[in-house]
Amino acid sequence: MRLVIENLTKTYKNGVKAIDNLNLEIGTGMFGLLGPNGAGKSSLMRTIATLQSPDGGSITFDGINVLKNPMEFRKTLGYLPQSFGVYPKMSAEDLLDYFATLKGISSKADRQKIIKEVLEITNLYEVRKKYVAGYSGGMKQRFGIAQLLLNNPKLIIVDEPTAGLDPAERRRFLNVLREVGTNSTVIFSTHIVEDVKELCNEMAILNGGRILKHTTPLESTKEIEGQIWTKSIDRDDLEKHEAEYNVLSSNYNEDNSLNIRVFSETQPSEDFIATKPQLDDVYFIALKQDEPVTA
Amino acid sequence: MFSTIFTHELKYWFKKPAFYIYAAILFIISIFFSAASAGIFDSITVSVGGNKIVNSPMGIYGMFNGMSQLIFFLLPSIIGVTIFRDYKSEMHSILYSYPFTKASYLFAKFLSGLIIVTLLVFVIGLAVMIGFRLPGTNSEIVGAFNFGSYLHSYLVYIIPNLILFGAIVFAVVTFTRNIAAGFITVIALMFIQGLTQGLLSEEENRFLAGLIDPYGNASLQYYTRYWTLAEQNDLSLPFKGLIIYNRLLWLGVAGVVFGLVYKYFSFSQSAISLSFFKKEKGERVTKKNFGGITRVQLPKVNYNFSFVENLKAAWKLAKVDFKYIVKALPFIAIVLVGLILALITLSEVGNILGTKTLPVTWKTLQSATGAFVLPINLITFLYAGMLVHRGKMAKANHLVDVTPTPNWVLWLSKLIALLKVQLILLAVVMLSGVIYQTYKGFYNFEITHYMYELFVLQFLHFAIWALMALFIQTLVGNAYLGLFILLVLNIGLPLLTLAGVEQSIFKYNQGPSFRYSDMNGYGSSLRSYLIYKTYWLLGGLILLVFTSLFWVRGIPHSFKERLSIFKERFNVKTGGVIAVLLIGFLGIGGNLYYENNIKNKRTSRKEREEQRVQWEKDYKKYEGKAQPRIVAVNVDVNIFPKKLDFNASGTYKMINKTNEAIDSLFLDHNSYPSTFEFNKPVTLVHEDTIQNFDIYQLEKSLQPGDSLELNFTVKNKENTFFRKNSPVRYNGTFINNFQLFPRFGYQDGSELTDNKTRKKYGLPKNDLKPHPSDSTALGNTYISKDADWIDFEATVSTSEDQIAIAPGYLQKEWIKDGRRYFHYKMDSKILNFYAFNSAKYQVKKDKWNDVNLEIYYQKGHEYNLDRMMKGIKASLDYNSKNFSPYQHKQVRIIEFPKTGGSFAQSFPNTIPYSESVGFIAEVNKEDTGVDYPFAITVHELAHQWFAHQVIGADVLGATMMSESMSEYVSLKVLEHAEGKSEMRKFLKKALDGYLTQRTFERKREKPLMYNDGQGYIHYQKGSLVFYALSDYIGEEKLNNALKEYVEKVKFQNAPYTTSIEMVDKIREVTPDSLQYVIKDMFETITLYRNRITKVDSKKLDNGKYQVDIEFDVSKYRNDDKGKRFYGEKVGDTISYKTEKMKKPILSVPLADYIDIGIFGETEVDGKKKEKELYLKKHKITQIHNKISIIVDEKPIEVGVDPYNKLIDTQSDDNRRKL
Repeated sequence: MRLVIENLTKTYKNGVKAIDNLNLEIGTGMFGLLGPNGAGKSSLMRTIATLQSPDGGSITFDGINVLKNPMEFRKTLGYLPQSFGVYPKMSAEDLLDYFATLKGISSKADRQKIIKEVLEITNLYEVRKKYVAGYSGGMKQRFGIAQLLLNNPKLIIVDEPTAGLDPAERRRFLNVLREVGTNSTVIFSTHIVEDVKELCNEMAILNGGRILKHTTPLESTKEIEGQIWTKSIDRDDLEKHEAEYNVLSSNYNEDNSLNIRVFSETQPSEDFIATKPQLDDVYFIALKQDEPVTA
Repeated sequence: MFSTIFTHELKYWFKKPAFYIYAAILFIISIFFSAASAGIFDSITVSVGGNKIVNSPMGIYGMFNGMSQLIFFLLPSIIGVTIFRDYKSEMHSILYSYPFTKASYLFAKFLSGLIIVTLLVFVIGLAVMIGFRLPGTNSEIVGAFNFGSYLHSYLVYIIPNLILFGAIVFAVVTFTRNIAAGFITVIALMFIQGLTQGLLSEEENRFLAGLIDPYGNASLQYYTRYWTLAEQNDLSLPFKGLIIYNRLLWLGVAGVVFGLVYKYFSFSQSAISLSFFKKEKGERVTKKNFGGITRVQLPKVNYNFSFVENLKAAWKLAKVDFKYIVKALPFIAIVLVGLILALITLSEVGNILGTKTLPVTWKTLQSATGAFVLPINLITFLYAGMLVHRGKMAKANHLVDVTPTPNWVLWLSKLIALLKVQLILLAVVMLSGVIYQTYKGFYNFEITHYMYELFVLQFLHFAIWALMALFIQTLVGNAYLGLFILLVLNIGLPLLTLAGVEQSIFKYNQGPSFRYSDMNGYGSSLRSYLIYKTYWLLGGLILLVFTSLFWVRGIPHSFKERLSIFKERFNVKTGGVIAVLLIGFLGIGGNLYYENNIKNKRTSRKEREEQRVQWEKDYKKYEGKAQPRIVAVNVDVNIFPKKLDFNASGTYKMINKTNEAIDSLFLDHNSYPSTFEFNKPVTLVHEDTIQNFDIYQLEKSLQPGDSLELNFTVKNKENTFFRKNSPVRYNGTFINNFQLFPRFGYQDGSELTDNKTRKKYGLPKNDLKPHPSDSTALGNTYISKDADWIDFEATVSTSEDQIAIAPGYLQKEWIKDGRRYFHYKMDSKILNFYAFNSAKYQVKKDKWNDVNLEIYYQKGHEYNLDRMMKGIKASLDYNSKNFSPYQHKQVRIIEFPKTGGSFAQSFPNTIPYSESVGFIAEVNKEDTGVDYPFAITVHELAHQWFAHQVIGADVLGATMMSESMSEYVSLKVLEHAEGKSEMRKFLKKALDGYLTQRTFERKREKPLMYNDGQGYIHYQKGSLVFYALSDYIGEEKLNNALKEYVEKVKFQNAPYTTSIEMVDKIREVTPDSLQYVIKDMFETITLYRNRITKVDSKKLDNGKYQVDIEFDVSKYRNDDKGKRFYGEKVGDTISYKTEKMKKPILSVPLADYIDIGIFGETEVDGKKKEKELYLKKHKITQIHNKISIIVDEKPIEVGVDPYNKLIDTQSDDNRRKL
């Protein structure tokens, strides 16, 4: 059950190359696709989800040629777009019934059975008779998961699902996703590093339509063990440090001083303290390395 | 802030392709219509011609305003969208927190939308201007460019209407946040407008109608309703009185509507919502998932994508879409409004002369369906878009599109939902019909008839549109643009005929419609309807395949991308389906084409026009050439109702009645397969197989007094599956001799009459018929050119279950080989004018003196037989007493299907009478209507005298002696039967009918005694004139004069009588003081303009009342184009002017006797009734008059010509209440 993407390319009418000769192989488990806004995450996900056709390349999943045989692929696909709407004046139950029909569950008893289950899983059972259009953001995202589960998908694609959720909702959402991901492939795009750290056993960093790094959260931090250094500086010294060192990130402390993290194989200078690498560092290193060198 | 929002909105529209597409479509169709009206297609279709200037102020108003109606359908998507956009894009959540005022926001939104639609109207105006003047238009019917007229229409009507309707739509969309609601509002407004105008069309309601017509059209009509051709061509549109009130009223309403929007609009996030359906079924809920973490263990369910399951899925999905439509407020609103309006429409069913028709099923179906056709189509077009784009609009498309449901299931579900909605609306039609019938106590519900017509026949028609709608809406990404395109197709396709595209096989979903009658059911119209619908259904299914291929799945694609997806999807299977459908489509289409073009010659309208020219050019030279005249006819006609065939044979006995030898015979026959054989040796020297005009040379000339016989046979071409080639019906055949049998000599009936068109073809101007003073033109009756009075004998056969009828008396009836034969023979001379009827008849019999009276009717149509019988007797009484004896021993009224027409026609002792003009009338004494089954019967019977005894020569004015006289008799008999007061209903209708219909005249209107045969002159004006005349000189005196006339001319031979001879007889008995009446009524077109200007009354000491009346009397003459003249000769015009008046009143010199009436009130059986206190003719010699009259009782109302006996162009100011 592997998703294999080869040489995938997609250029939009306005000239933006959203996917640039992309190759990626994803196995079972939670796969985090990390990238800044506009990196091409959604384009990639929509392309995998058969919503748009690429200019070139191929996608196969579990032996199915996704581009040639989308219908077969859709049977195993669960997709939660970045933002979606629902038909007004329809309850969760009715809408799920609608989607269940679309997903090929022909027996009414079957539909009732599975709808009940997905509502339980997503904790929407009590509000199943309420109009989905009136749901809060978190409930709506959970509804998204509920509809996605209806066809017991082998491949689940969720596009930035945690954006805008409050911490409790986010937690609940990630828990559900985690459960779902135990016996299928889940591709999970986000620009929040934290999400990936908590959830994913595999990850890729995407920018400018290319995969910058394909790794696992554990391995990637292990890779840079001993190469991340930190130092507290004055705000005014930031530019100087940035010029001198490979500054990955900088955070304000309470006293208006800055804490910077620097990537270096050796201790950059004595006032830097070695620190434990975080996934953020991996992310920023990858992005930095991709930046075009300016003279 | 205003200008920022305003300019932003404008920029948005100017960037939007939809704006340019709308503009382009409007531009093209406006050019098309204006150019078509100006004759640009004259070279490919019939010439427009006529004397009407197409770009007169009136013409511009009509064209400009008419085209602008289309704009109303754009209001929701332009003015509505300005504000809706902010909701849809959820911009409102940001925008509404910005610091601008409600006023600037709302005004900017509304005004920007208004500007956009105004620009679109401007495009229409431009296109109309250009269209009229496009090279190729007929410059003779296009007048000088008149910018003011465009401006007038634009400023007085179009812009205020856009403001009004725009404000309403804006309000609806703002509060419902639903564009569909905006559309439904437009549909409902049009619905209501049409209805109120229909209901208020009666004369006394016209002021009110003018005031409350939101379009302002009825207020304009109030002043221009009776404009003659010349006035329509020359006058500028008025802007006064009622028009100003109307415009102010509706601008005020627009202001109020907008004010309400302003008042109740708030920058809030949610729409005002109305919830109609609340269903809360109780169910016990137990919550299980308490913690955050559950194990995901989905139950095992079956996923099935088999074809059958997919079909079921489509059905199920359709339910969701269906609910989405029918549970929404807009839809419920349209159903309710439609239901109410259909009921009101039904209440006016079949109003003839103020009398309604019984709500028989076909009639209720006709009215209720009629009211619903446009709404059903619009709802189909609108919701096709809403459904196709539903996912996108709700942003749920990505969820839907990634499911493994094939495309066809998706579009099929939309189609099913759409069709279900249509069925619901058709059920509403049925419901309204049944409710109405129940309400009227008419319990003969023909439920199967309802079901069959609505859910099979009509449904087919609408379903084929649904297929087109789905296709267009799939192709076009914008539901409102799609709606507009569909609307243009729906309205425009039938009109392609104007551009010479005449055959229905080239115009989507066009074709012959089915026609129902109680007698003949759907008859043969059903087959051709179903053939064409099958054809278009196949066409629609081809579109459906394309819909499938173009179906959008996923992110909206560029058109190029869609084409490549289209190519990808196009595989052997779809190719195969298209091929099969195409074979069926082309197969039927090809067959229809073959039948109508190759196997049978099809003459286009253009060709028909050219043939008429050719006919005249080729054969006019034989007009007036001596021909033998038919003196006896003996025919055998065999009607085969089941096979819809006929064959006939016959013999004409002819005599050379001229005093010259005849050597050539000009045989004018029809295109049915025929044989002709003369009993003297002849040679066929000329045969014209197109115009069917043959010339035979007699070997030996026919000397004066010699006789000749023609034996002929005629039958129809074999009927095929695709085409019926005979006039026979399953039940209710009605054929006259001119349809079947040959004639002799040149017939001028098909000559082109319009002089402009004639000139184009190099034909001289024509004067239609010769003047009655032309003594050389009196050789023929206006019925027939090859016979005077004939002996008649006929044997008619039909199927065993039917009765066949022809003029004459039944000699023998027998059955042979399963066919029923009837032998009829006439014992006296008749005109060469007879008909054959055959149907399964019931017969009602009665007697008047020795005369047998029979009514042959359809079972179930017994309602008015007694009235008709009464009419027969009354007419026999009146005519035989006043004019001459009845010439036959029998009267037969014979019902025929309404599909054959809505008229009755008098043949010798037989009167075919349509089922729709009396048999199902609902005569009610309480009503204000005329008992028309009675009146029409009297009229038709009178024709046995006035046509079948007295027949005019074939010159101008001939119909005065037949139609006007029959109308006069009918009025008089009605008056004697029902009293004078009943006459007002009839006279008012006749006056309004005359004044209205003369405005449609395109050639000329002659005075009554020189009329060209127009119905509005010989019926309406004729009845008014003779009735007034009998009032002026007395019924007895008039009838005595007429009796003398009848005695003198009845059954005469050539030279035949003329209107001059009749008018002279009347003149003889008319006193000198009233000779002017003859001139005004018969010899000229004279119209009065009488009115009361002031009236006072006071009680005198002796208990009587003195009434002081001031009134104006004036009259003018019209020439044959409708131009006004106020004198006999230059300088004799009289005038009257007070200081207050802007223009003087002008008049032809007066020495006229005019009724002055004073009316009081009396109680009869508890009801107040008008009582005549005073009625006398006063001699009037000046325009302004003052008189004092003393009456015994309290006066209530005063009138000048209070009974509207005179032809008065404004009849509602003749009376005034005190």
